[in-house]
Amino acid sequence: MRNPHRLISILDKGVKRSGVGRKSICIVSDIRFPISIAKEDGLDYFHTPRGRAIPFSVGMKLANPDLKVIAFPGDLATIGGNHFVHGGRKNIDITVVFVNSFYYNTINGKKAPLVDRSFSPYGGDEKPFNIPFMAKACGAVYVARWTALHAEELSISISEAINKVGFSVIDLIYPQKNFYELSEDSGEYADLLEFYHENSEIAGGVDIKETEILGDKKILVGKFHESERLDFIQAYNAMQQKMLGEKFKPYGVKQ
Amino acid sequence: MPPKSRTALKEKANPRDVFTGAYYIDGDVATAYGAIAAGCKFVGGYPITPSTEAAEAFVRRAPYADALFVQMEDELASIETVLGASWAGKKAMTITSGPGYSLMMEGIGFGAAIETPFVIVNIQRGGPSTGVPTRAGQADIMQAKWGSHGDYGVIAIAPDSPQECFDLTIKAFNLAERYRAPVMLMADECVGHMTEKVIVPPADQIEIENRKAYQGPPGRYMPFKPDRDLVPPMVKAGSGNKLYITSHLHDEKGYPVEKSGRGAFNKRLVDKIRLNADDIIDITEEDVEGADVVVVAYGIASRVAYKAVVEAKKEGIKVGNVRLITVWPFPEKRIKEISKRVKGFVVPEINYGQIAFEVERCAHGNADVVLVPHGGASVHNPEDILDAIRLAAKGKGQHKGTIEFETRLAKRIFPSGLKPKKGEGE
Repeated sequence: MRNPHRLISILDKGVKRSGVGRKSICIVSDIRFPISIAKEDGLDYFHTPRGRAIPFSVGMKLANPDLKVIAFPGDLATIGGNHFVHGGRKNIDITVVFVNSFYYNTINGKKAPLVDRSFSPYGGDEKPFNIPFMAKACGAVYVARWTALHAEELSISISEAINKVGFSVIDLIYPQKNFYELSEDSGEYADLLEFYHENSEIAGGVDIKETEILGDKKILVGKFHESERLDFIQAYNAMQQKMLGEKFKPYGVKQ
Repeated sequence: MPPKSRTALKEKANPRDVFTGAYYIDGDVATAYGAIAAGCKFVGGYPITPSTEAAEAFVRRAPYADALFVQMEDELASIETVLGASWAGKKAMTITSGPGYSLMMEGIGFGAAIETPFVIVNIQRGGPSTGVPTRAGQADIMQAKWGSHGDYGVIAIAPDSPQECFDLTIKAFNLAERYRAPVMLMADECVGHMTEKVIVPPADQIEIENRKAYQGPPGRYMPFKPDRDLVPPMVKAGSGNKLYITSHLHDEKGYPVEKSGRGAFNKRLVDKIRLNADDIIDITEEDVEGADVVVVAYGIASRVAYKAVVEAKKEGIKVGNVRLITVWPFPEKRIKEISKRVKGFVVPEINYGQIAFEVERCAHGNADVVLVPHGGASVHNPEDILDAIRLAAKGKGQHKGTIEFETRLAKRIFPSGLKPKKGEGE
């Protein structure tokens, strides 16, 4: 994420493709999101304490349903895990682009729950999360995964996710430089991006349980899941209408 | 030179949001009615005793006021939704009690750092930890001020009746909007669960305030550039102002800064409350002029203390009382003035000394301070406060800091326990 320009242009393309006005797009992130994206792109941008991008987005979206909120959580699988789970269950109409860099690069590559072999001094062997499978199980209505070099596919996914009503998740494989090895703009970093791209395989129709990232397997990418379900506000309005009848004016709907 | 100060926009409450009438309700419910009357449109919360009645009352009324309650997965998330909602342009609140309040500290610091107007209702219960869920406490008062890490200013208000829960919730929203700062309504379980008559006036008698609007050209907005009153105007997300809002230390544009000396930006977070204290502070005084002893109390303790004050007056003791409606910022100047003329202060509170030490600090050694502590789960015995008033009226003039009064309950429960050193207490 130290070289954010790629993501800027991808996000930009995605937003253009979606047809949504730039004014109504809000980006919410937590730790490790390149600040220059917001500076250069001119979208409304909010940086929250680690792991809290999703609940902050939920507040924004529910308070003003006209906004299109894209969350870029960094610590999603750890400190923000429960927010992710419940965001999916509630089917809040936000887009979550999960920036998956496998480990904490800025703090010497400390352990994260997304790799089985971690970068702690004596290694580790913990089972990593399978984010797409988890997202679907929690109730997300749109689940995809791409690597950073799948620029075209990713921008299409972003545009689809913005327009999808409900909790949409894109697992973005975006490796960061290893603290010890790579300098910021070295060719080695480009090689790393290339490595993940080359070791991926587009497999849209695959059983989502099989999308786990394992050392000896190719990384499966593609759109894995799409379904229809009432989002939080629609479901709330339907239930209140049923209980209160005529007296109830639907929330978040312009009269 | 900062631009001329704009003031928060004042208007009358929306009749749709005000359920005018006379009610017989508890403090929790009155808080919810007050929030709706103040124009609160969003509550994110997580259920916790003894605050659940407030959330429930809000849920019941919300559909008729175009408001929304969302129950989140925990308090960490609840407070973040409130901040998000506030930046999306809605007045927002969360409702909680001790353990939830502790979890919310992260979000409170974040909200203060990005200067978000929001209200936190804390119906205090006995602590520490899960403590006594169904009984009163007042031990979160210092946490309200210092709870989250780093420097920031807060406003805290302590109602003492259901009617005040209604009135002061409106005030809390008005102050939050005026100062772009967190405002805590520090009620306690006794007030929250106390059922009394509450008058909800007609909408045209309720004045509400909205955050200062930005009037410059679009795209040139600086989210943290203050006016002379140290408060910046605020726009909502999605209004084309290219907002850049970060929890990191930031400059006026909002961009993160790490250069040395830039920490001065934090000073304004403290100063906008501290330097506007005269505008914010709200206390009531009774018979303070000519008094020998002044009782300083807040919340339910102030109501219990009142009985002791009446009894003491019958005995001929010259006693007055100061009730803190706003606990933070603390009325430093006034306490200092009073301290020069009295023999002592008596501070009853349901904790082991929080505001008492604040009174001691502001008394500058001019007068004794007698703390009447209470461990929570109940309220003071007025007899204890009366004894403390008698003790302070003797005016030994020792001025050796705060004297902790040994209550009847303490004597009964810990008859042979660890006693304070000789000279402290009677």
